[in-house]
Amino acid sequence: MNRFCCIVAASALIGLAANSATSAEPLPEGTHAYIIWPMDGATIPSGKFWLRMGLSGAGIAPAGINRPNTGHHHVVIDADLPPPGEPIPNDKKHLHFGAGQTEARIELPPGRHTIQLVLGDADHIPQNPPIVSKKITVIVPQ
Amino acid sequence: MPATRWLTSIAIGAAVTLPLLTGAHAQVKEATAPAATRATRTPAPADAYVYIGWPNDGEVLHRRRFKIWFGTRNFGVAPAGVTKANTGHHHLLIDTGLPPLDEPIPNDKNHLHFGAGQTETYIELPPGTHTLQLIMGDADHVPHDPPLVSKKITIRVQ
Repeated sequence: MNRFCCIVAASALIGLAANSATSAEPLPEGTHAYIIWPMDGATIPSGKFWLRMGLSGAGIAPAGINRPNTGHHHVVIDADLPPPGEPIPNDKKHLHFGAGQTEARIELPPGRHTIQLVLGDADHIPQNPPIVSKKITVIVPQ
Repeated sequence: MPATRWLTSIAIGAAVTLPLLTGAHAQVKEATAPAATRATRTPAPADAYVYIGWPNDGEVLHRRRFKIWFGTRNFGVAPAGVTKANTGHHHLLIDTGLPPLDEPIPNDKNHLHFGAGQTETYIELPPGTHTLQLIMGDADHVPHDPPLVSKKITIRVQ
């Protein structure tokens, strides 16, 4: 019985997640996110830089603000895109810019790193279809 | 908020999405009605700043229509009407000086509003020398204190 309750509860949670996923409204056709700087393949001697985030066709709104045709930036570092339809994780590989920032100070250790942007809605859920930038690679020398 | 100020905000709000689509020629003259001044402006952190990412100062453009991107550092972007600390929305000043700092930024062909939270736009300018400058406005389109103003750049359209 307890197990059954757990399954029901889990199903309800999944249902909630699915509902919130469908609430992420699509942005206007042609909207795209892109990394203004650094360039793909750039070598960054110090490993410290300002990442500049670009968005065409839509606007920026802080997290928690429900406004059509807006979203806020998330930076994915050395990871693949998070699953669609659920809030973007918040950890060292998934940075949130819910204050509406369009620049971020990034520090990376020596090595090759990938950087990609994904836009999230008021609840940090990627839009449907998702607005993601090209995944770029930067190199921090030893 | 006084009624006159509220109405002005609504009028400006209705016009803010025009510049993105139609460039420098979009304007709503009715929105330039003078508004009541405000005693206190929305504070901005001392290290926040705003800049024009492109074009560069002194750029010579060989096309009339071009893209401008807006940069902000240590500060966030929020659509007009959203009151949140350390945020604002961009206004592009074309061929004009700074507006009065204690009232809503005018909305006309020299003062373009980006109240939908845009961080870039396309504009079209006639051949000649032009100046461009950004200024942030708060939820009600009033500049912050201190004002967040970019360097005023000069470009030449050929």
